[in-house]
Amino acid sequence: MIRRRLQSTIVASLFALILAPCVFAQSKVNFSRQILPILSNKCFVCHGPDAEADDNLRLDSYESATQDLGGYHAIHPDEPAESQILIRIHDADDPMPPLDAEKQLTEEERKLLDQWVREGGSYAKHWAFVPPQKSELPDANQANTNPVDAFVAARLAEQGLQFAAPADKHTLARRAALVLTGLPPDTDELQQFLDDHRDDAYARFVERLLANPGFGEHQARYWLDAVRYGDTHGLHLDNRRGIYPYRDWVVRAMNQNLPLDEFITWQLAGDLLPNPTVPQLVATGYVRMNPTTSEGGVIPAEFQAKNNFDRVENLGTVLLGVTLNCCRCHTHKYDPITQTEFYNLFAFFNSTAESALDGNKYDYGPVIKAPTDQAAWDAWQLLTDELTALLENADSQVTTLDSLREADLTAWRTADATERLALLADASGSFKQLEGHSSAIDLQHRFKAAEEQFTTTLVAKELQQPRETYLLNRGEYDQPKGEALEPAVPSVMGSLPKDAPRNRLGLARWLTSPDHPLVSRVIMNQIWIRTFGLGLVRTPEDFGLQGEQPTHPELLDWLAVELQESGWDHKHMLRMLVNSRTFQQSSAWRSDVEDADNRLWARGPRFRLDAEVLRDIGLWASQLLDPHMGGEGVKPYQPPGMWLAMAHPASNTKQYVRDEGTRLYRRSLYVYWKRTSPHPMMTLFDAPNRESSCVRRSRTNTSLQSLGLLNETQRVEMARKFAERLVKTADNDSQRIDQMFRLLACRAANDREQAACVQLLELMRKRYSGSADDAKSLLTIGDAGTDDSLNATEVAAWTQVCATVLASDIALMLY
Amino acid sequence: MDRQPLREYDLSITRRQLFGRSALGVGTAAMAQLLGSPLLGSDVVSQADGLHHTAKAKRVIYLFMSGGPSHHDTWDYKPKMMDMFGQDLPEHIRDGQRITGMTSGQKTLPVCPSKYKFTKYDNNDQGVWVSELLPYTAQVANELCVVHSTFTEAINHDPAITYIQTGAQIPGRPSLGAWLSYGLGSMNENLPHYVVMHAKSQFAEQSLFNRLWGSGFLPSDHQGILMRSEGDPVLYLSNPTGVTRTDRRAQLDALAAINAEQHRQFGDPEVLARIRQHEMAYRMQASVPELMDLSTEPESTFQLYGEDAKQPGTFAACCLNARRLAERGVRNIQIFHRGWDAHGNLPQEHESQCKDVDQGCAALIKDLRQRGMLDDTLVIWGGEFGRTAYCQGGLTKENYGRDHHPRCFSVWMAGGGIKPGITYGRTDDYGYNIVDEHGEKLTPQPTKETWTPGTMHIHDLNATILHLLGIDHRKLTYRFQGRDFRLTDVHGHVIQDICV
Repeated sequence: MIRRRLQSTIVASLFALILAPCVFAQSKVNFSRQILPILSNKCFVCHGPDAEADDNLRLDSYESATQDLGGYHAIHPDEPAESQILIRIHDADDPMPPLDAEKQLTEEERKLLDQWVREGGSYAKHWAFVPPQKSELPDANQANTNPVDAFVAARLAEQGLQFAAPADKHTLARRAALVLTGLPPDTDELQQFLDDHRDDAYARFVERLLANPGFGEHQARYWLDAVRYGDTHGLHLDNRRGIYPYRDWVVRAMNQNLPLDEFITWQLAGDLLPNPTVPQLVATGYVRMNPTTSEGGVIPAEFQAKNNFDRVENLGTVLLGVTLNCCRCHTHKYDPITQTEFYNLFAFFNSTAESALDGNKYDYGPVIKAPTDQAAWDAWQLLTDELTALLENADSQVTTLDSLREADLTAWRTADATERLALLADASGSFKQLEGHSSAIDLQHRFKAAEEQFTTTLVAKELQQPRETYLLNRGEYDQPKGEALEPAVPSVMGSLPKDAPRNRLGLARWLTSPDHPLVSRVIMNQIWIRTFGLGLVRTPEDFGLQGEQPTHPELLDWLAVELQESGWDHKHMLRMLVNSRTFQQSSAWRSDVEDADNRLWARGPRFRLDAEVLRDIGLWASQLLDPHMGGEGVKPYQPPGMWLAMAHPASNTKQYVRDEGTRLYRRSLYVYWKRTSPHPMMTLFDAPNRESSCVRRSRTNTSLQSLGLLNETQRVEMARKFAERLVKTADNDSQRIDQMFRLLACRAANDREQAACVQLLELMRKRYSGSADDAKSLLTIGDAGTDDSLNATEVAAWTQVCATVLASDIALMLY
Repeated sequence: MDRQPLREYDLSITRRQLFGRSALGVGTAAMAQLLGSPLLGSDVVSQADGLHHTAKAKRVIYLFMSGGPSHHDTWDYKPKMMDMFGQDLPEHIRDGQRITGMTSGQKTLPVCPSKYKFTKYDNNDQGVWVSELLPYTAQVANELCVVHSTFTEAINHDPAITYIQTGAQIPGRPSLGAWLSYGLGSMNENLPHYVVMHAKSQFAEQSLFNRLWGSGFLPSDHQGILMRSEGDPVLYLSNPTGVTRTDRRAQLDALAAINAEQHRQFGDPEVLARIRQHEMAYRMQASVPELMDLSTEPESTFQLYGEDAKQPGTFAACCLNARRLAERGVRNIQIFHRGWDAHGNLPQEHESQCKDVDQGCAALIKDLRQRGMLDDTLVIWGGEFGRTAYCQGGLTKENYGRDHHPRCFSVWMAGGGIKPGITYGRTDDYGYNIVDEHGEKLTPQPTKETWTPGTMHIHDLNATILHLLGIDHRKLTYRFQGRDFRLTDVHGHVIQDICV
């Protein structure tokens, strides 16, 4: 009984929520947003794009729905009231969907279908397959210049609501810093902001955050989830894979604000650009990111197919926001994508040069050499800049030099940068008279020295002779069907630009072209999620017919176009979101708004922070955080035996050898990612295993998380170093508690928080003053040294307080 | 204001979960998650009665033999192969089956009969032949349903084990256990829903992967929790050195006060959920050590399970733990035992492997029986595929190896709604192909697409497991990327013939 009653309450409230925004009283029904979801969800399973056209009615286009079926029509083109649909959906004896169908129509849905058919039953393309356009900004009462606010305010006004009050300045500082850099603001930074009373103080603060190198580290992480970045091959032996320069490149791209169209192009096809640079090649690690195997006895052709299934599906999730998995075996049931089109996409990836099996090798070729960490990348960048300047100068001299023969000039003209450097540095060559000769020799040496330190990274390379691609019957690698297929794109999403080559570069050109309906929306939604914790489209992995409608369709489209018009400027978009009033609202739940899921955006973002951020905050507060950027994955503390209990005896990742020294304290972005067994403190807090794409992490609350927060070695180590910091920097309990809260919450503790901490502190003081051994045991957890000048009882007691507050919502949440 | 924050929390969670998937094809399982909360009255604490129909089994213990045990040397007796010793496997038997790269280069595929003696044990049916490698399990043969006709398409470990555990060969889907956790919830909130143990083996030669008990695209709290034999049985269970249970109590009180203040400020019902989880962790710190403490077990237990059961991490110890978990309301338990991948030296390896598991398997069945728990506990034993009738590498009467074989393998099931003491399905005289009840070859070969009586595709196995637990495998779905995914993909058939 309880169950039933509850169920109906929930379902009822659900409908209220779903339908409220959709039902526009009296106005004409909106096919794309109101009807198509019903057809897709309730009818297409039998009457969709994959129905056999000959013997089954298809309802996915006007033409087929209005076909003469022998004297009657599903939708009658001339006399809508005579349409069969109207009869069948109300027919008690022979209804559609049939009585035994799993999904039945609701009363509301029947009404909508009735209205639609009576209005002529016209069709339109699913919204996400129509290129976005900017609509007029709504004329909201609030004087807003920020487009985000204009759209949000308009919807709020429809509901008779207003924005929530703005969050406090200190809360806002923490929120913006965590959203942009994944860490709270540094004490000085915070103070500067709090003391800044100019009108644009917040905007200035945001600019400083955008320029912080931590920005790239934090933003990169989401992309690494999406592309399933891992430090191991993923299957069977799950051996080490050399690809971390890709991760470091993503961080650089974010920090340098590489336009996102180039960000996409380099990853898909950097190797096909003219004279590709090292970063452009490193970026193609994206194409190589699929899990691979070299299990004894596997059939290469099988994995040639599986590897490419994986790539196509990743592209679908990450950039197209549609699931292509279904089309591997059959034409999509819901979205208008055919099985042939799946294999057309497959063909773009099917001619890469690596072998289908990884050979269990770290340098599973093709590979190139790349810098090993950010400092090395920076140094290399300086060399490259120097080279550019040197060659520009040399180039201007070349034509003026009489002694050069025509052959020399030709050699110079056809040479790339590295070759020109060699020409210029050649002591016996024709260019030695040029001004830059000695600098060239020096530079060449320095390049060589830098490159000797480089490490291996997997890259994409195209075969000279492309492999043929066939449709695979039921997705079986050994059942090719029909003619060889050309690389091509799903027609519902437009077509390749006319002059685009039929390779990955052409694919990238298509993805980043202004009339692509999906990519800018999908990317924009991902950026929105990073900022607000939830998407404008709540199913970021699915913009297809079965996905959710955007909470604010016009806003999403406006932003998607803006993203393109701004030159795919990532920071510009983030700036716009973070500076919006919508973002700056208090995140407290409102008693005047019934909107648990915050679909109206009537309160600020509030969510549990990701695993990596939780760890980084602790390292930062305890001053253990090592600022070193980039490099091979690090291995912090991990309970012994976790890898060994699972790994193949021949695997080179069966032993977890934890790091020592500063590598224990790097940002969590750098934690070594073994795909078959990622670090437990990551997976405990919902990090994906990176075997498949993740554009939306779950956010669970479990008792095991509580155990991890309070008992894991590094957490305790952070707590005791945090305790030392507090004991050293302030004199009395109240000040120390305030200091702790200032670091974690950007504000002092209130009376209740003070009281809770003081009570625990006093209990622990009493406890540890009587037990020096226990204090000592607690204070020697983790490698970090203890400050022996401090009173052990005091530090132990504070350690307990710090551990507690670090495990509380003060530290766990974005608010 | 007349607010009931906890109830409100549950409602909001559910709303969110619902929105996270389909708006209308609401998984009843999501409701189960909601209704599983003890806050809403004990009559709905769990789905013990079944989610879609009355459950025959309240819990499942899955003994997973990773690597692919040889059905030839354990459960599938093929005396006629003796006469064919060393001769090439007839082409009509191989019948186009693809062969892994490990034996595809061999000049011949010599027939390799088992060297082990088989004995026919009485059961409720025609009797069941059991190899001398499994003397203890043979004693409980009358409790078992031995399925000889399990099959798969995958021929390599990683895809095959991923397939049988998640319903797909490519990683990314939720595991069987995660689906069960999602569908059924928990009967004991002081212990994890879904417990996974790794048993020791001398020949642990295959890898295991988190994905085998992972949650895929389901919320990650449905993932299996490793119960370890080394260090903390549950990760991070013990307090740090120098911190007592009393200290922790004080910490949690302060934590609750600080979080309550957050709730006061933000009104976010999830705060209360976290307070509850901290409390549950505190209780788990007591309940898990109690669970792991075998000192209360009488000596008779160790007579039953063997002395091995006193050694943490042995298969026998894992079986004993499984029974203790089951007694405490954990409904979803899986033990992985590696080392069954006998490409060469099969006799040496399988003798050791069988010795590892034999007594524990039998003890578990007997123990559950005598406690009155077998009738509602489903026990499953099996691997990801079988092994070939032909020899890999050198063949002698005493020593041989076998490659992977997908077309048939043996799995046994017991208790929880399974007909006791029967066999199901037959294979040909070479243990190579499934045949019909008259011993005639099935033409064409059975496939996952349509069920053939007498066969059990791995999707059928999973469909049957869910069925016994009260779940319709076609209805336990989760909307992800616009599709309602299920464990059995678009396949699976409940094998009613083996169900009571």
